[in-house]
Amino acid sequence: MKLLDLKQKTVEEAAALLGVDPKAAALERFAAIGLPTKKSEEYRYFQIEKFYEKEYRTLSYVPHPIEEAEKIVITDGMVTHAPKGMRIYYEQCQAMDMAHFDPMYYLGHLLSPHVIKIDLDGDADIEIEHRYTQSGALINYRIVLLNQANRHSTVFESFQAEDISDTLVLYGYDIFVAPDSTLRMVKNQNMHDNQYAMVASHRFKLDQRANAVIKSFDMGEDMGLQLIKAELDRYAHIDAGHLLYLNNEAQRGTVSKIIHRGEHATSHQEAKNILDGHSRGIFDALIKVEHTAKYTKAHQNSKAILLDEKAYMAAKPQLEIYIDELEASHGSTTGQLDPKQLFYLRSRGISEVEARKMLVIAFANTLIEQVKDHRHQEIIKKTFDEAFYRN
Amino acid sequence: MKILEIKDVHAKIGEKEILKGLNLELEPGKVHAIMGPNGAGKSTLSKTIVGHYDVEVTEGDILYKGKSILNMEPEERALEGIFLSFQHPVEIPGVNNAYFLRTALNAKRKHEGKEELNAAEFLREMKKYLEMLGMKADMISRSLNEGFSGGEKKRNEILQMLMLEPEVIILDEIDSGLDIDALRAVSEGINMMKDGKRSFLVITHYSRILDYIKPDYIHVLKDGRIIKTAGPELVAQLEEEGYESIEEEA
Repeated sequence: MKLLDLKQKTVEEAAALLGVDPKAAALERFAAIGLPTKKSEEYRYFQIEKFYEKEYRTLSYVPHPIEEAEKIVITDGMVTHAPKGMRIYYEQCQAMDMAHFDPMYYLGHLLSPHVIKIDLDGDADIEIEHRYTQSGALINYRIVLLNQANRHSTVFESFQAEDISDTLVLYGYDIFVAPDSTLRMVKNQNMHDNQYAMVASHRFKLDQRANAVIKSFDMGEDMGLQLIKAELDRYAHIDAGHLLYLNNEAQRGTVSKIIHRGEHATSHQEAKNILDGHSRGIFDALIKVEHTAKYTKAHQNSKAILLDEKAYMAAKPQLEIYIDELEASHGSTTGQLDPKQLFYLRSRGISEVEARKMLVIAFANTLIEQVKDHRHQEIIKKTFDEAFYRN
Repeated sequence: MKILEIKDVHAKIGEKEILKGLNLELEPGKVHAIMGPNGAGKSTLSKTIVGHYDVEVTEGDILYKGKSILNMEPEERALEGIFLSFQHPVEIPGVNNAYFLRTALNAKRKHEGKEELNAAEFLREMKKYLEMLGMKADMISRSLNEGFSGGEKKRNEILQMLMLEPEVIILDEIDSGLDIDALRAVSEGINMMKDGKRSFLVITHYSRILDYIKPDYIHVLKDGRIIKTAGPELVAQLEEEGYESIEEEA
């Protein structure tokens, strides 16, 4: 399959190419927005068109028997392992967002014959490992995640790629955070060696008094973009933190829209970006406060350290506000490692590489140490080390 | 043999020449005090010895144990045994004080072919000095110098010096910002390091610190050069008459 074939197609033409019902709601939305280009606001800093000319192998998504394991493993878009008693189903998506800003959200749904639905029972603490084993493939899958009211769940996401190359992954979540519950999502990803590129398009819907904590740790090379839409009902709270540590030719980051719909909702979004080599970091984040969202509190901030003069940070924190009764702030800074700090460490016999690492980790630690589970913190620190010492 | 020899060093910061043919020799086991007016080049001298990025040496040489160090990186100079206690130690949020010091100590031990210390061994070693310096135990778990008072920062410098056991110790305005108790504790730490082999270069504006750390030599630095070297008796003359009274020695 070549994505370019979907460019500027009518609903009928796109339906024929994708093999879906021309009346599918997602298709109408996809055709209306169109395949993103470099002129699309959300993809301005990410060269999505790089993937359009390539011919990708498509996979067949036939459910496998699920083996018992300590974590959920999704191999090339299908669940292959899961803990005993975990409620996982394949089904048609019942609750697609018909106002998502990202066309790839709809393309992901159209390409996926079914969604993987995961019900989080009680105070669940699960790990989802995404495994990719196919080269030159277009791997697409969507996950629907539901938790229960008054419960507190944690999902730790990790990514493994075998010896593959030139694969494109389109995946994403539709997550519904129940009233009075907390959902913590921690994503830990280290990409390198041109194994795969990723466009991850997510939707979070937070019910009344729901609390979502989203922490993403993106390290290494290659291309990856996560696009997040989050809607907040009354008294809901979202705490989003994004760490980027990139090197070589990486192009990765976050495009997000957090929408305050209900009164007294609060959001806090923080991006820490460490960029080396020729890498490009992206933080294009909008917080929108609607007319109905009085007494909102919304804060967002991006900080970047450039370790190489050729590295580039595209930071665009934005607020769009339609009410007066709120508290909001946003800001962005970009700089280098402090030479005085670097010299101080070196003057005590610490090598320049180690001193730089200490300062970079110190910068990153403020986010890593927000991860509640110390086991997860350790895994993230180890991933950081691997990415740091690979160069 | 001299432990450190500074030979006709000219050094500039930016386009401005600060050191203008400075000569100085440090003897093993001796305390050398550098005194001089503001802007004489005292801090530039300390920066030059440790290889600070601000300073460019345009002429001359610095020999440590007979070997030129001008082409050595700052960390190499430190590993060889040169230590600068900074006038204004920098704050580094997010870098744990104990982790930093253990990394530095283990880098030194590795350089000397010794086993690295594990966390428990290191803490045992460090605790010996904390009490002596009047340092609170929580200072080791805080970020490096972050939110430390002036006195705490200087005590932390001395703690590093005690742990790293350097051979040439440069103390740049170690007494600035210290109350009398802190000055006593810091001086005690410094005096503990005297072993007849280590050399000290005490850079100071005022003679107060020299009541606690007895110098063997006083060098007057003025306009980028050492203009006079004498015994401790010179301090009294400087106190009395100021730097203007000092004539350059032939």
